Amino acid sequence: MTPILEIRDLHARIAGGREIVKGIDLVVNPGEVHAIMGPNGAGKSTLSSILAGKPGYEVTAGTVSYLGQDLLALAADERARAGTAMNAARRGRGEPELDAAQTLKAVRAKLKLLDIGDDLLQRPVNLGFSGGEKKRNEIFQMAMLEPRLAILDETDSGLDIDALRAVSNGVNRLRDPARAIVMITHYQRLLDYIVPDHVHVLSEGRIVASGDKTLATDLERHGYAHFVEAA
Amino acid sequence: MATPISSKRRDMTAHPIVTTLRRVFRDRTDAAMEPASLTSRRAAAMARFVELGLPGRRDEAWRFTNLQPLTEARAAPASMAETGVDPSLLAAHRLPGTAHRIVVANGCVRPDLSVIGELPLGVWFGSVVDAIDLRPDLSDTAFDVSDTIGARPFASLNAALFTDGFVLAIDPGVVLTHPVEITYLGKSGACHLRNTIRLGTGSQATVVETFAGTGETWTTAVTTIEVGDDAKLRHVKVQAEADAAIHFALTRASLATAASYDGFLLITGGLLSRQDIQVAMTGEAANLTLNGAWLLRGEQEATVAPSVDHQAPGGQTNELFKGVHGDRAHGVFLGSVMVREGADGTNARQLNRNLLTSPTARVDTKPELTIHADEVKCGHGATVGDLDEAALFYLLSRGIDPAMARHMLIEAFAAEVFDTAALTPQIDAHARRYLNAWLGAGT
Repeated sequence: MTPILEIRDLHARIAGGREIVKGIDLVVNPGEVHAIMGPNGAGKSTLSSILAGKPGYEVTAGTVSYLGQDLLALAADERARAGTAMNAARRGRGEPELDAAQTLKAVRAKLKLLDIGDDLLQRPVNLGFSGGEKKRNEIFQMAMLEPRLAILDETDSGLDIDALRAVSNGVNRLRDPARAIVMITHYQRLLDYIVPDHVHVLSEGRIVASGDKTLATDLERHGYAHFVEAA
Repeated sequence: MATPISSKRRDMTAHPIVTTLRRVFRDRTDAAMEPASLTSRRAAAMARFVELGLPGRRDEAWRFTNLQPLTEARAAPASMAETGVDPSLLAAHRLPGTAHRIVVANGCVRPDLSVIGELPLGVWFGSVVDAIDLRPDLSDTAFDVSDTIGARPFASLNAALFTDGFVLAIDPGVVLTHPVEITYLGKSGACHLRNTIRLGTGSQATVVETFAGTGETWTTAVTTIEVGDDAKLRHVKVQAEADAAIHFALTRASLATAASYDGFLLITGGLLSRQDIQVAMTGEAANLTLNGAWLLRGEQEATVAPSVDHQAPGGQTNELFKGVHGDRAHGVFLGSVMVREGADGTNARQLNRNLLTSPTARVDTKPELTIHADEVKCGHGATVGDLDEAALFYLLSRGIDPAMARHMLIEAFAAEVFDTAALTPQIDAHARRYLNAWLGAGT
C-alpha cells in the first residue's frame, strides 16, 4: 500500500531565516487520522505551510511524497489539484465532470450532510462570516473537494463549544478508508471530538513522541515539558 | 484676438493641434444649416479655446495627465462618409431588454439605427440636430450653458465643434419606466458630442451611455444635467472604447431641492481618458451618489475627477471609486468636495480605493475636502495596495490556478462598486459584460 503522505528527514526554514523544521519523519496511510500537537514555536504551522506550498519557506533537506509523487516539486495550486479540486480530482479518478446543475445538487447534498443551512449559498464569500461560520465553510469546501489528504491547521482555534462540535461532526463524517487527515492543534480538546489513530508531539522542529490517542491524554496530564525533556 | 493669458500658456496655444483645430472649425460645412445664433456661439467658444490653448502640466487639474497621444491626426473630424456600422458590434454593446435607444456613429445620431420607441407624454428624447429644429427652447438652454466657467479648454472646443448628441427632457411628474440608452460607436478621428438631460420636478429617468468605438478616435463629450425638485436621475456610463482611443468627458449637473443623482461609471477602454464630473448641489437636501471603477492595463491612463459643490443645507454625497491598474497603466483620482457657508447638515463621504497588480503600474489619488460650514459630517479617504497574498494563497491551496485566483480577487475588488451601486438586473448585466470582458482578456 502506498502511503498517502511520506515525509523523510524534512528540514526547512523561513526564507532567509533560521531553521524551524529540523528532521521530521512521518508516514500517513489511507484511512488514518493523525494529530500533531506541540507548544508554540514547535514548527507545527511551518510544517503545514510547507506541505501546502505556501511561499516564504525553504526546504533545506529531506523529501515529501504524496501518493508516491514528489510533493515539493509542485506549485501550491498543483498540489491542491493533485488531490482535490472537484472536477480536476474527478478527472483524475476517471469520473465525468459535474455541470452547474449537478454541482449545485452536490453542494446541497453536502450542506445537508454537514448540517449547514442553505442560506450560506446566498451570501457573498467570506463577507461578514463569524469565526465559526468561516470554519464550517472550510469543512464544507473540504466536503466538496473530496481530498485524499486534508491538513487541518488549528481548525479548532477561536471556536466555541457548539461550533467545535459542529466542525468535528463534519470532519468525522468525512472520515473514509481512502482518505487521510492530519490535524494540527494546540489543545487536546479537539481530540475528544475527532479521535485520532496516531498522535505525535512536535517540539523544536522534531517529532519527540508518537503514540495512539492515549498520548494526548498523557499530554494533557503532564504538559509538553515532560515530553520535551524526555526527548 | 486671443492674447495669451500668461506666459505658461504661450507654448500650449502654439501647439500644432490648435492650428489644426482652427482649420477644422473654419472648414465646417454645416454652419449654413444652423441658426445664426448658434454659429456665433460656436465662434465665441472657438475663440475661448484658442485663447486657453491646451491644458499643460502646470494646470493643477491636468498635471497628472499626459496629452502626448493627442496628435494632429486625431483632430480630423470623424468621417461623415464612414456610414457602415457592424450590426453584430452594435448588438454586442446594447443594453439587454427594453430601452429607448439612440445610436451615435462617428459623432452623429443615426436615425436608421436608433429605436426610440413609444415615449410617455411629456418626454422628449432625440438628437441635438433634431432639437435645434424642433425644440429650440431645449437646445438653446443647452448650448448656452457656459463653458467659460473654470477655463475648460476642451469644453470650449466641444461647444465650437459639436456635431450632435442627445437631448432628454422630461416634464414635471413624469416617470420614465424604461431606461434611455445611447450607444456611441466611432472608428477614427474626432467626435464632439453635446448632451443635455433635464428632469422636471418630481420626474424620474434612467440614462445609460455606452461608448464603444473601435479605432484611434478622439471623443469629447459635454453633458449638461439639470435635476429638478424631487426628481431622480440614474446615470450610467460605460467607457469601453478601443485601447487606442482618447476620451474627454465633462458632466455638469445641478441638483435642485431634494433632487437625486445616482451616477455609475465604468472605464475599461481608451489610451487616454478623463471623466470630469461637476455637481452643484443648489437645492436643499439634494442627494448625490457616485460609484465607479476603472480597470486599466497596458499603457492606459484614466483620470476621474468628481467635484461636488454643496451650496445648500442638508445635502448628501456618497462617492466610491475603485481603480485596478496592471502593466504600466496609470490611474488618477482628483476628487473634491466643497461645503459652502450655510450648507449645514451636509453629509459627504468620498472614498477611492486602488489596486496595483504590477510593479510598473501607477496611481495618483487626491481626495480633497473644503469646508466652510459648521454642522457637517464629511469623510474622505484613499488606499493603494496590491493583491492580498494571504487571499491569493487561500485560493491556490484550494486548487485554483494563479491566473484564475488573481482574476477572482480583482473581480471581487471591483464588484464592490457594482454591489454598492445596486443597479437594476438589466443594467447590472450590461455593465458586468465589460468587467468580465476586461478580466477575460487576461491579467
